[in-house]
Amino acid sequence: MSDDLPGLISAEVGDRAAAWDLAGTIPVEVLRRLGAAGALCAEVPAEYGGPGLSSRRNGELTAHAGTLCSSLRSVMTSQGMAAWTIQRFGTRRQRAEALPRLTRGDLAAVAFSEPQAGSDLSAIATTVKDDGDTVVLNGHKVWSTAAGYADLLVVFGRYQDGAAAVLVPTTTPGVTVRPVPQPLGCRAAGHADVLLEDVRLPAAQVLSGTGQSLPLLTTLALTYGRMSVAWGCVGIIRSCLRAAAAHARDREQFGKPLAEHQLIARHLAELLVAEQTATRVCEHAAGCWDDRSPELSTAAVLAKHVAAGHAARSAATAVQVLASAGSVDGEPVARAYRDAKLMQIIEGSEEICQLILAERALEGAV
Amino acid sequence: MSESTTERRFVAEDVETELKQFLEKSTKTSWESDTDLFADGGVSSMFAMELVVHIERSFGLAIEGPDLRIDNFRTVNDMTALVLRLTGSDAGE
Repeated sequence: MSDDLPGLISAEVGDRAAAWDLAGTIPVEVLRRLGAAGALCAEVPAEYGGPGLSSRRNGELTAHAGTLCSSLRSVMTSQGMAAWTIQRFGTRRQRAEALPRLTRGDLAAVAFSEPQAGSDLSAIATTVKDDGDTVVLNGHKVWSTAAGYADLLVVFGRYQDGAAAVLVPTTTPGVTVRPVPQPLGCRAAGHADVLLEDVRLPAAQVLSGTGQSLPLLTTLALTYGRMSVAWGCVGIIRSCLRAAAAHARDREQFGKPLAEHQLIARHLAELLVAEQTATRVCEHAAGCWDDRSPELSTAAVLAKHVAAGHAARSAATAVQVLASAGSVDGEPVARAYRDAKLMQIIEGSEEICQLILAERALEGAV
Repeated sequence: MSESTTERRFVAEDVETELKQFLEKSTKTSWESDTDLFADGGVSSMFAMELVVHIERSFGLAIEGPDLRIDNFRTVNDMTALVLRLTGSDAGE
């Protein structure tokens, strides 16, 4: 296993992020190599074959991927969330069987959203029904990131009186994965809808047994996703800051570099403020995670909300600074502009994050 | 959040006291040992996760897999029983 995961990601991405974005796909062998190095879910402990990074170190790794390619970073978010769900909700045996696969090159995704269950996950209608020593799944999942590449799906559905997450190999009869055509952002992240039609699996594929609450199940799983998206947004902002600063330094108008025009200099200052603010709030959340602070769930929402908002504004600012040079599809700031918008939607929309934070404000949590 | 389970043993009264203090501090409400926290008007799913993480840190244990079932967190009594079981404190001397 490589000690230099950032270097490995840099080498695998090279200068191909724009081409992947335009093609809408990352070569699956790239993902398998990164997966086999543990880079896609780097917090998986060594006992399961993972790098066992802390939340802080994995956060920096995620930000690094985010500076290069948000589609790849989205795949990392999905694989990490799948691994985290298995780690938290799996039995000892399920963890021992499933987690090493995710650090040896198998690819995984999580499936929450449905046509009628986006922000309101309590409306999930996918069913998991007992039938002897098997379970049968029926449902329709939408916008499952990385499902287009996945060997394994972690599907959230209704089970008995509560809920369950079920490990569903994508080769199981009754599973149909349909890529989302031409998504706005993170175009190569393998976003796909998943149809589950009488999908029969051994009951041992149900993580966590019976009696799980849907809100706790999804909150625990999404908290990893929020951390990962937040750090990915830090990467987007860093990429925008870098591109805008380089352009403002090199391009001259009215006889002097753009950076010497005060209105452009202000844009650069705002980008730096965004980068520092998003980084600090992510570091705080990662510290909560690594210290097992109960504040973690709120800190993750705060980090995601702050970082996604800054990423969207920073990307718009960077396009403004680069102007025509940044207005070509596939260019880093053009990708950032589209990718960052999606970050304000996934893993808790801006509005859902605000509702959660407002609830905390009313509880006097701060 | 790596896995670790200590050899520490606890008595029910101490676990209950600790849990009630955390609940009161977090929710600004005092809770009876047998009150269902998740009944209508109770705590949110965000708080449920805080409870899980708090219990793990306070008592040096990992709550995973089937132990995350919501019935283990409904009341102070339920959580106390979970802590005693996972720390082996309910096994007698």
